[in-house]
Amino acid sequence: MNVTRKEIDGLVLLTIVEKDANLTRSDRFKEIVLNEIESGSRNLIISFENVEYLDSSFLGALVAILKNLVPKNGRLTLIALNSDIRNLFELTRLDKIFDLKDSLKSALEGFK
Amino acid sequence: MNITPVSVELNIPNDPEKIIDHTKEILAIILEHVALDIGYQQRIKLILIELITNSIKHSKEESTAINLVIDQPHLSIQKIEKGLKIAFGAGSPQIPFENIQKTVSINFSEENRHDIQPLSQYKFKFLKPDREEDPDINQMPEHFGFYIITLAADSFVYQYDPELKESSYIVHLNL
Repeated sequence: MNVTRKEIDGLVLLTIVEKDANLTRSDRFKEIVLNEIESGSRNLIISFENVEYLDSSFLGALVAILKNLVPKNGRLTLIALNSDIRNLFELTRLDKIFDLKDSLKSALEGFK
Repeated sequence: MNITPVSVELNIPNDPEKIIDHTKEILAIILEHVALDIGYQQRIKLILIELITNSIKHSKEESTAINLVIDQPHLSIQKIEKGLKIAFGAGSPQIPFENIQKTVSINFSEENRHDIQPLSQYKFKFLKPDREEDPDINQMPEHFGFYIITLAADSFVYQYDPELKESSYIVHLNL
């Protein structure tokens, strides 16, 4: 699971480098982000700019991450979701639970 | 466009690195026979991704049989698997169903629950979840495979053939 990490104004930006966000990577991805939260990060942005599709396993990982972060008063914003991935969030109504933004710029403005 | 029913039998390798490629190939075959807007294409892609993913997770076979029937205005996508019938978690009624008259709740795990309508002893339909209330993160499942298919399809049915020892996952879309 290839994820890049960058700190911006106290936020942590994690960018998924893979194009397939699927069952082969969901457990490792969850571990990476939960470790990030465990180490104290509370304001996270995850970029899907390289991701072509996201399957149910990866969606479950994102739900588990948010369930972990919310009780710690953390915030998670997902950015750069393509049309297919955004459609998946809308179909499952997870767009009402997750903060989805088009770009890093709009995500950063949301954290201000 | 062909307006007579079209049947296509496919054998899809259970390779997690090729799920999206095979999904696109199957969608392209469907689009050779019927014009679909982007919304239908997205629904079909979600269904195919989850059917193939389910096989990779649970089947010991090297490939998955997927049959398409395009009979406008209907599209049927059927996945066939050899092996044991689907098994639900503890406390759920199991196949063969004893009571096929009423809707029942089943689970595959604590976080993976569904309402189903038995249609016969060996056949049931996944029922769409109640979506009137606003979703709550603490109530959200962490297993979405069948949930996604149920939402994306107009009908999602499971059937087991005890003689052939064969499971069929049958998705219908009204085009």
